[in-house]
Amino acid sequence: MSLVIQQPGNSVVTDLGRFRGPRFGLPVNGALDQFSARAANILAGNPDNAPLLEVTALDFRMRATTDLLIAVTGAPLHLTVGGRECQQWEPVSVRAGETVALRRIDGGLRAYIAVHGSVEAPVLLGSCAPDTVVGFGLRLIEGRELKTFRNVPPIRQPYFDLPLFRLGLTRPQFTSTAVVEVTDGPDVEEFGGTADLLYNTEYTVSAWSNHIGLRLGGALPERQSTAEVLSRGVPVGAIEVPSRDELLVLHRGRGVTAGYPVLAVVTSRSLDVLAQARPGHKITFRRTSVPEATAKYRAALRELETLRSTVSTVFALLGIGDQPGNPPSNQPSNHYSNQPEWPRLAPAAGS
Amino acid sequence: MPATPTPAQPPVEVFESGDAALRVVTSSPDREANWATVHALAGWLDAAGIDGVHGAVPTYDSLLVEFDPGVTSARQVRAFVLLGLRQLEFTGAPAREPREFLVPVVYGGEYGPDLERVAEQQQLSVEDIIALHTTKSYVIRCLGAPAGSPMMDGPDFPFPVPRLKDPRLSVPAGAVSVAGRQAVIAPAAAPGGWCVIGQTPLTVLDVAAEPLVPYVPGDTLRFQQIQPEEFAKYAGRKLEATQ
Repeated sequence: MSLVIQQPGNSVVTDLGRFRGPRFGLPVNGALDQFSARAANILAGNPDNAPLLEVTALDFRMRATTDLLIAVTGAPLHLTVGGRECQQWEPVSVRAGETVALRRIDGGLRAYIAVHGSVEAPVLLGSCAPDTVVGFGLRLIEGRELKTFRNVPPIRQPYFDLPLFRLGLTRPQFTSTAVVEVTDGPDVEEFGGTADLLYNTEYTVSAWSNHIGLRLGGALPERQSTAEVLSRGVPVGAIEVPSRDELLVLHRGRGVTAGYPVLAVVTSRSLDVLAQARPGHKITFRRTSVPEATAKYRAALRELETLRSTVSTVFALLGIGDQPGNPPSNQPSNHYSNQPEWPRLAPAAGS
Repeated sequence: MPATPTPAQPPVEVFESGDAALRVVTSSPDREANWATVHALAGWLDAAGIDGVHGAVPTYDSLLVEFDPGVTSARQVRAFVLLGLRQLEFTGAPAREPREFLVPVVYGGEYGPDLERVAEQQQLSVEDIIALHTTKSYVIRCLGAPAGSPMMDGPDFPFPVPRLKDPRLSVPAGAVSVAGRQAVIAPAAAPGGWCVIGQTPLTVLDVAAEPLVPYVPGDTLRFQQIQPEEFAKYAGRKLEATQ
């Protein structure tokens, strides 16, 4: 059971991240749009943290060698399976031999493909997330065969005409003028009155942006002191002003320590928005509080939990696999890429 | 990491750092005590295994504690941090015998393209710079970016070393660098703005091993000059503790 990469574009196998990494000097990495990645896995009947494919910007094609069930989320795109047009944000059946094509990623930047039962990937510190600095992970190349673990016979109508998504989940908005919520950073006072520029400026995403950080052009707050800062751990989402040219917003690939003052920190929810920002997109920042940001994050997790319960019901009706949310029990656990157990991650709040 | 109990913990301040992290900063004039405290606290948080706490990144006088806001909250994590500090006051950090690492380095030339520039800036000879760099036993203060770099207090140069005006797009693995009052070895190739004065042929980072790097904060490290023709002899060997 496998799938074969025909056109890799810019794609990797990843998961929600290497949460033990920062303690050892490695960035967390993992899916940049965490909500879309979780949703894809849930829609495919997988645990949130199962390895899945992240496709960035470029067209992508793969062929199934076995019957599969997949779900594609993230940035809007043109999805076809065996030439048939299919919906994103819904489970999709793929017959053995058929080609899955993702074309014209538009409005956003990153798409996610989850495969029911997941795919095989190497693991470092409990995660398969690629780390470009240490040279770890699975960047997909043409002809690469990815082992899959579940054969899912094609699903018959009418169940999969059900718009699962509308039963609970709000599909994220993708726009070229995003509002990104931030909380004041621990060093905001170092910027004096210029800190307010962050909230009154429309910034433009530079082409020199990646999983490590986004560079934004626009009016820049200025640090008022010149004292040397000792290296400190910096959070994902930290906004720094390292040069006179651009604002730097660190994302999941960020080096864990740095010596620049942290002006503000992007909320966990808004990091997903930044993950989808394309070069040239406009960004404005809105100030929020930590309790408000936490509440929004938990609300999103609750939506995913509702989706999981819907998917679970539908899958049970169709007799697909085990209960979503558990690794398949009819496979030896080493099929999941030597992971002895699924890393414990957020069960949605309230569950 | 302190080998003896540290009964008097320096005062700390806890700052919000977004919805998924806190920054804990020690604010005493005693740099050693600050450093010992943030590393002891990171160790305590590791051992405590608190639900939703991913881990902590200790450096010199600060600690970044990362957590999952779906499971816990900034308020709860702050309470755990304060509890940890209290407990450390009574028990001290667990004693750990530091290990020592000996690092062979080829200085200058293609291995250390900034050696002469650093010598000029320090108003010393290249030989003086090498002597000062190899004389000292360095305490590894923390693991930094990229990839578990051993961050150390620098050699006893007369002046701080300015960073490069134009950072290099790639510095090779094994590069031995200085900047400000700090010293470091690059475990993996990465962009860098520090002055590269030499390179070790040893493999520092091994992604097939756990832990990825052989040292922990508190271990000590010494540099030893070797000649360019010896580079190949060491190449492929892993950095290992000498005792």
